[in-house]
Amino acid sequence: MAPPQPRPDIVTNALATMQKAAAVPPPPMPTSKDDINGTWRFLEWGVDRIMFSLKEGVDLRTYMSLYTSIHNFCTAQKAAGPTTNTLHSTHRGAHLLGEELYHRLNTYLKQHLAGVHAEMVKHSDEALLTYYIEQWNRYTTAGTYNNHLFRYLNRHWVKREMDEGKKDIFDIYTLHLVRWKEDMFGSTQNAVMDAVLRLVEKQRNGETIEQSKVKQVVDSFVALGIDESDSTKTNLDVYRQYFERPFIAATGKYYEAESKAFLGENSVVDYMKKAERRLDEEKERVPLYLLAEIMQPLMKCCESALIAAHCQLMRDEFQILLDNDREEDTARMYKLLSRIAEGLDPLRTRFEAHVRRAGHLAVEKVAEAGDNLDPKAYVDALLEVHTQYSGLVQTAFTGESEFVRSLDNACREYVNRNKVCQKNSARSPELLAKHADNVLKRSTKATEEDDMEKMLNQVMTVFKYIEDKDVFQKFYSRTLAKRLVNGTSASGDAETSMISKLKDASGFEYTNKLQRMFQDMQTSKDLNSSYDEWCKDTFDADDRKEGVDAYYQILGTGFWPLQPANTPFVAPATIVKTYERFQNFYNSKHGGRKLTWLWHLCKGEIRANYAKMNKVPYTFQVSTYQMAILLLFNDSDTVTYDDIASSTMLAKETLDPSLGIMLKAKVIIASPEGASSQSGTTYTLNYGFKNKKLKVNLNVAIKAEQKQEAEDTHKTIEEDRKMLMQSAIVRIMKSRKTMKHAVLVGETIQQIKNRFSPKVADIKKCIDILIEKEYLERLEGDDLGYLA
Amino acid sequence: MSSEGEQSVKLVSSDNVEIVTERKVAERSMLIKNMIEDLGAPGEEPIPIMNVSEAVLRKVLEWCTQHKNDPAPTQDDDAESRKKTTDIEEWDQKFMQVDQEMLFEIILAANYMDIKALLDVGCKTVANMIKGKSPEEIRKTFNIQNDFTPEEEEQIRRENEWAEDR
Repeated sequence: MAPPQPRPDIVTNALATMQKAAAVPPPPMPTSKDDINGTWRFLEWGVDRIMFSLKEGVDLRTYMSLYTSIHNFCTAQKAAGPTTNTLHSTHRGAHLLGEELYHRLNTYLKQHLAGVHAEMVKHSDEALLTYYIEQWNRYTTAGTYNNHLFRYLNRHWVKREMDEGKKDIFDIYTLHLVRWKEDMFGSTQNAVMDAVLRLVEKQRNGETIEQSKVKQVVDSFVALGIDESDSTKTNLDVYRQYFERPFIAATGKYYEAESKAFLGENSVVDYMKKAERRLDEEKERVPLYLLAEIMQPLMKCCESALIAAHCQLMRDEFQILLDNDREEDTARMYKLLSRIAEGLDPLRTRFEAHVRRAGHLAVEKVAEAGDNLDPKAYVDALLEVHTQYSGLVQTAFTGESEFVRSLDNACREYVNRNKVCQKNSARSPELLAKHADNVLKRSTKATEEDDMEKMLNQVMTVFKYIEDKDVFQKFYSRTLAKRLVNGTSASGDAETSMISKLKDASGFEYTNKLQRMFQDMQTSKDLNSSYDEWCKDTFDADDRKEGVDAYYQILGTGFWPLQPANTPFVAPATIVKTYERFQNFYNSKHGGRKLTWLWHLCKGEIRANYAKMNKVPYTFQVSTYQMAILLLFNDSDTVTYDDIASSTMLAKETLDPSLGIMLKAKVIIASPEGASSQSGTTYTLNYGFKNKKLKVNLNVAIKAEQKQEAEDTHKTIEEDRKMLMQSAIVRIMKSRKTMKHAVLVGETIQQIKNRFSPKVADIKKCIDILIEKEYLERLEGDDLGYLA
Repeated sequence: MSSEGEQSVKLVSSDNVEIVTERKVAERSMLIKNMIEDLGAPGEEPIPIMNVSEAVLRKVLEWCTQHKNDPAPTQDDDAESRKKTTDIEEWDQKFMQVDQEMLFEIILAANYMDIKALLDVGCKTVANMIKGKSPEEIRKTFNIQNDFTPEEEEQIRRENEWAEDR
């Protein structure tokens, strides 16, 4: 006979006295089916064996005898209740027997557990845990055996009772659990939980513990969660109340005390490391021996004790970390504070203020240069702060959008309102446009394509923050015009790339004119080649020689920020002949267009056949004005100031500097020597002219002109803004017909704020102007009406 | 699993006859299945089936062999199908063509050994024997003596009027 296999986890050290009872030889199997006492006596002996001596095994015959005696008892043809009552019995049909067995077993379990309990209270702490777990395992294993043994009872009597809705009848295994819960759990769980919590505390203190013990206690608490409405189901109520709640409370208490003590002796930075480690530990603890359900409350509890309780202290440290560029610690603080509700808001505020401060500081450093501020130095100062802190946002704040917003706010603030812009808020866009010009202008150093792209992106970074985008547009279009007209662009691709970047950022309308300027350049190129063809067809070789070789740029008046020269000018005869020829050609192609010559933007080259270096004549690069002056010397070696003035008709403000450059280069010599440009002075051609280079550039922009230009630009900005506001107001009113004054102002600001930040007073003025012009009318109250 | 299923087990009937069968067949009985689960495979040790005689046990095992590969019914569709139909599959119908005494013995054995599907087939067979018969015919079929007084009979009829097939 093969011995039945014992379950390995059966516990042996049950009560000695009870064990003795189990060793008793079996009473006879009941012969009479309905003999409850005989049946129970037999069953009690069997259940005892299962409870205490499972390890020694239960043989097949015993098992079958026990099952059969239960079956036999339940199927005994015993009349249920008085026979006369059959028809009115609550049980229609067959009466099911077994109630008596159920109650006897129930009583048995009660007594059994009373014995275990008596022993349990003798233990404490870890020994108690060990004993509790041992007993629990032994008892529940026996429960599963008994459940099978009593299956016949389960299938019939218990099932019927439960079907009829009896809440206090359970299947046999659940009955075991219910008994444990009521007769054991209530009076022991406190002590057990205390032991568990002490064990966990030990582990938190760095000792090694038997984690499986905690795990088994958790499992036992979970198993006891019998759903009251349906005992076949379980819930976590018992576990939540008796395990989770005290566990969380103890955790909170532990970390409150620990963090307080730690902060008393260590720095906040060290504390953050500690807190981070603790949070990780607790998170790792869950899968080791806790229920996954505890994760959320456990984390919440730890976060409250470790972070929320000390968040003020951490926030106070934030400024120090920023000041010292402690990126790693900053990141740690972010991570910690991001775990608690509204933990980051104060950080964002501080961060914003800090970046603003850093921006102002950087600007102040370069602002010392005053009006001579180098645009590059200024833009670099703006960028440096942005680059540093956008890096920090990415690394320490994981690129979180709220921090990006704080950074943007701060940057917008220091870009638009800093020491350099103090007097004139348009300084920032102006300097940025100038910087962009310097980047895009051809320079001695060739710029790599990648570098160029990088620099343009930097310009765009600052551009994004510029509020007066219209100012940037003005200055940018001016410098672009100059680059195009003078052919000083470093690269056409870079220009196009920049325009498309601006278009992406501010829309088609913003870059419309810039694009048209580009188009004009292309059209001019085509026009010049067809003009050359035309010349070839129209004139013979000699005729053609009479003109000057020229290149014409036809620029649409509406798109180019160019004004006619503010001086009269009489062009030299050769040039007049040349351009008249072109005009004829142009008019034949495009009738009804007026060509205005922008002499101040024209330039040319003159070969000095009288002065040579190694038999090669010098070539002078000159403005048209200078050309007109120099051509006078073709007729005479000496020309007076008055002659020059009368034949060119140039205003003194233009004439004098034009002469000045040529005097300085010693192309002509004034007499008397060093005489100022005025009536009476005469000029002589310098036949002994010498220069290191064959090509001499005399066409140098005049300082005063540049300054004048900038001022003009600022002036036109004010005008343009008025127009922009008025057209926005009209647009809005046209679609709404009537509107409250205040609402209109708000809408107008909405519409144009991506160009510049309008002042409410200015908008009100514009509204008044429009009322005067009868575009709008005042209605009752605050209402305004649109007049078509 | 298959090797476990192919093990043989020795059953002993109430009249002490040993019958060897596949473990898988025997485990159609929840009683035997649970017992093996709790006590381990019995090997050579015979399992006493105390309440079932050899003839009946053989009959039961015949059914179990036929149905050894049936999937275990789930709780739900079990309850459903049982309520819905008194249909019996062909093999089972033939299997149940036994004398009344054997039929009831099989039902009792199925109940004792906890073989639900067999118990159902047995009960359905009996239900089909009753279906469409008058009380008197039923009494005759099952050899039942009428011990109701006429008054009691009238009362029962009244109470069950709702169930009459009209």
